[in-house]
Amino acid sequence: MAAILSTVPDPGPPPPPAPAPAVDLRADFAASGLPEIFDELDREMVGLAPIKRRLREIAALLLVDRARQRFGLAVGAPTLHMSFTGNPGTGKTTLALKMAAILHRLGYVRRGHLVTVTRDDLVGQYIGHTAPKTKEVLKRAAGGVLFIDEAYYLYRPENERDYGQEAIEILLQVMENQRDDLVVILAGYADRMERFFQANPGFRSRVAHHIDFPDYGEGELLDIGERQLAAMNYRLSPRARTVFAQYIALRRGQSHFANGRSVRNALDRARLRQASRLFQREDGPLSVDDLTVIEAEDILASRVFAATAATEEAAP
Amino acid sequence: MNAIDKRDSRDRYTAGVMKYRDMGYWQPDYEPKDTDVIAVFRITPQDGVDPIEAAAAVAGESSTATWTVVWTDRLTACDKYRAKAHRVEPVPGAPDSWFAYIAYDLDLFEPGSIANLTASIIGNVFGFKPLKALRLEDMRLPVAYVKTFDGPPTGIVVERERLDKFGRPLLGATVKPKLGLSGRNYGRVVYEALKGGLDFTKDDENINSQPFMHWRDRFLYCMEAVNRAQAATGEIKGTYLNVTAATMEDMYERAEFAKSIGSVVVMIDLVIGYTAIQSMSKWARRNDMVLHLHRAGHSTYTRQKSHGVSFRVIAKWMRLAGVDHIHAGTVVGKLEGDPATTKGYYDICREDFLPRRLENGIFFDQSFASLRKTLPVASGGIHAGQMHQLLDLFGDDVVLQFGGGTIGHPMGIQAGATANRVALEAMVLARNEGRDIVHEGPEILAAAARHCLPLRQALDVWKDVTFNYTSTDAPDFVPTASVAG
Amino acid sequence: MRITQGTFSFLPDLTDEQITAQVQYCIDQGWAVNIEFTDDPHPRNTYWDMWGLPMFEVRDAAGVMVELAACRKVYGDRYIRLSGFDASHGWESVRLSFIVNRPANEPGFALERQESEGRNVRYTTRAYAAQLPEGERYS
Repeated sequence: MAAILSTVPDPGPPPPPAPAPAVDLRADFAASGLPEIFDELDREMVGLAPIKRRLREIAALLLVDRARQRFGLAVGAPTLHMSFTGNPGTGKTTLALKMAAILHRLGYVRRGHLVTVTRDDLVGQYIGHTAPKTKEVLKRAAGGVLFIDEAYYLYRPENERDYGQEAIEILLQVMENQRDDLVVILAGYADRMERFFQANPGFRSRVAHHIDFPDYGEGELLDIGERQLAAMNYRLSPRARTVFAQYIALRRGQSHFANGRSVRNALDRARLRQASRLFQREDGPLSVDDLTVIEAEDILASRVFAATAATEEAAP
Repeated sequence: MNAIDKRDSRDRYTAGVMKYRDMGYWQPDYEPKDTDVIAVFRITPQDGVDPIEAAAAVAGESSTATWTVVWTDRLTACDKYRAKAHRVEPVPGAPDSWFAYIAYDLDLFEPGSIANLTASIIGNVFGFKPLKALRLEDMRLPVAYVKTFDGPPTGIVVERERLDKFGRPLLGATVKPKLGLSGRNYGRVVYEALKGGLDFTKDDENINSQPFMHWRDRFLYCMEAVNRAQAATGEIKGTYLNVTAATMEDMYERAEFAKSIGSVVVMIDLVIGYTAIQSMSKWARRNDMVLHLHRAGHSTYTRQKSHGVSFRVIAKWMRLAGVDHIHAGTVVGKLEGDPATTKGYYDICREDFLPRRLENGIFFDQSFASLRKTLPVASGGIHAGQMHQLLDLFGDDVVLQFGGGTIGHPMGIQAGATANRVALEAMVLARNEGRDIVHEGPEILAAAARHCLPLRQALDVWKDVTFNYTSTDAPDFVPTASVAG
Repeated sequence: MRITQGTFSFLPDLTDEQITAQVQYCIDQGWAVNIEFTDDPHPRNTYWDMWGLPMFEVRDAAGVMVELAACRKVYGDRYIRLSGFDASHGWESVRLSFIVNRPANEPGFALERQESEGRNVRYTTRAYAAQLPEGERYS
């Protein structure tokens, strides 16, 4: 930051008329290393089209802001704190990592690392414990991005002696006074976050960008699952693919569904079943294909299907 | 494993003279064991002598052989005790000489004795007639053997903790003139230099106890100077009191006296011999004393490439023998020292593990098995204007010793010391800030001189002083580099 | 007088910007930065008081500078030093140490001599400031 600010010209005597200075945003963009990050994002992350669009918008804003600074048009450091809202497994942490990289490439944070914390990392157990804990986390995050997951747990109005309030006050102060040193991302469920902001208007006013992460569609979840398998050198048989699509449709309707994370857990269990199936087979050596392919039966054994079957049976 | 097949043993031990290579000292298939000591020699055989026979002869003469067959070999496990020449390679660019690699079984050596090691490796063999010249280039000392030595009594880490000095080279100066000052005048130089900003002053190698200054007198005045400077600066200071003397008894007496008057460091010369060095190392270890070694005399056998012992081998021996400081060259100063070769010496002193690096003259991987580190000393013809080069070449763990470069300052010794300290701190600060000190060095010095008149004067007086001569001892594997003035 | 302990005592007092650069250097080497303060500048006073624990996990100098500011607020009338600690094998020691805060007035040290046998002298260095109790020495 210091380096950027120091390029702001002295407000001295008006400069002699010169050819109108120009800025090539496209060249800036290419030189910033951002194209690689966006390519990565498109390659690695399924769907999320509105999120990716928001990320590009923010990057464009910052790029323009940087260009304006060069001509002395910018007023102060921009506020960059953000809130990421959405259900579990919708890619908030992954996006936060990318955001840290983007901010680093653009020079808005000096190191670009991400420190992920929850209430327990910030709030202490006894009097005098919270401030050092919160400050310790802030020191670790300095120069990077602090990601506070389920930030609303900091605020517990039902307990008026809750130490969370102390952490909140320190955070608010740092978010205001040390904008050069770190960027804070508050994350969690949309509805609870909204209530949190209502109760703590100080946070709302310090957060510049709100990004809402929608749940994945069924097709996207299937795609995510297949990518996860491919990364581990597994694949679904054609029938297993059909069954897994059914699995996703059923599982989405159940409680505690966590998008990408639930898909990963389901596939981990399918791999376990594949292994014991292969182990129990008695028809000679296994081929590479045998070791790679997840069959329909590996997925059908899930209790998601059993529960449905049971419900159907029980139904009149 | 045994080169001598049982069937041939009658022939092998028939009285008479036979070739060394046929006596088992040449074993091209031999794989050195992890516990073997390995030496690499540069051999220059007499005209007409086969290099392999010459290498076998070196192996034989530095281990079990004599000029003729002796039946008493058969009373021993002689295959084990025979040194084994196992590789002979031409020296690049030198048609008459060869590198011979010879492996020695660990049982050939007494644990923890440099005298015993050297009596074998550089004993009779260097005068052997069939060779025109012989040089010991490097040695691989196995961990099993390294562990039989105590190593430096203090080491770099503990010395720094004891002195409370971190993150920069230490600064020293040798008191000049070397000879003739009285104790009282000598102490004046020490006081001025230490108060001005140096960490250490040093007796020269040949200051012992002469008609113009008795050793006790020197020690007492020096300690007055050290304590005065310490109180004037709030910093720990030291002066290397040279305890070199004619006998061990004299040396112990001087060292004990140095301890009793509160010195943190004593000094010895290489010429006292390996055994005396090891004795003084053990004394220093018992008495919490930093032991400084001046390598007086080494150039008689280290400087010429064809004959003698490379300094890298001396440095290894001295780290085992246990000295805390050793003079290891300056590259840019007045004494012999090619940059690549000198880097090899510094690595030997300071690294725990040293990989084979032929471009630095390091022929073997060498582990020091957590033996403490020896602090190298750069001394001789260096001045403040070279600070960027010195820091770049040697890093933080070195004593930079400016004798003339302190005492010869036009405004006096204190000014000379201050100039050096300011130049050093400014350069360390700049390096840590990420600046390219090699190229921006003169600029950094000029900027520091703006707030330091003594530095400005030093840069002015010595700006053109360089010692650019071709080195006699450059590595064989790359062209000789030289430091630009 | 000016005590010259620490790496940069012969240079003009470092600015916060210069201190930040040195702290970042330590962090980039993988060293933990530690803040210590004292009002006893004796050269053999090894254990200055610690301002919290060494900062093992800080990635950016700003994290350290916040603590330094806090320490100065409380102990601005004393000596404060920063050090970089290297925990790697073979070092396990301080690798850089420099003073970042000094009392306005540094009265220095007296050197006391006790003559003993054989022209031998026993020396004692005594800080003038340390004649007062701790906490009252520079206020």
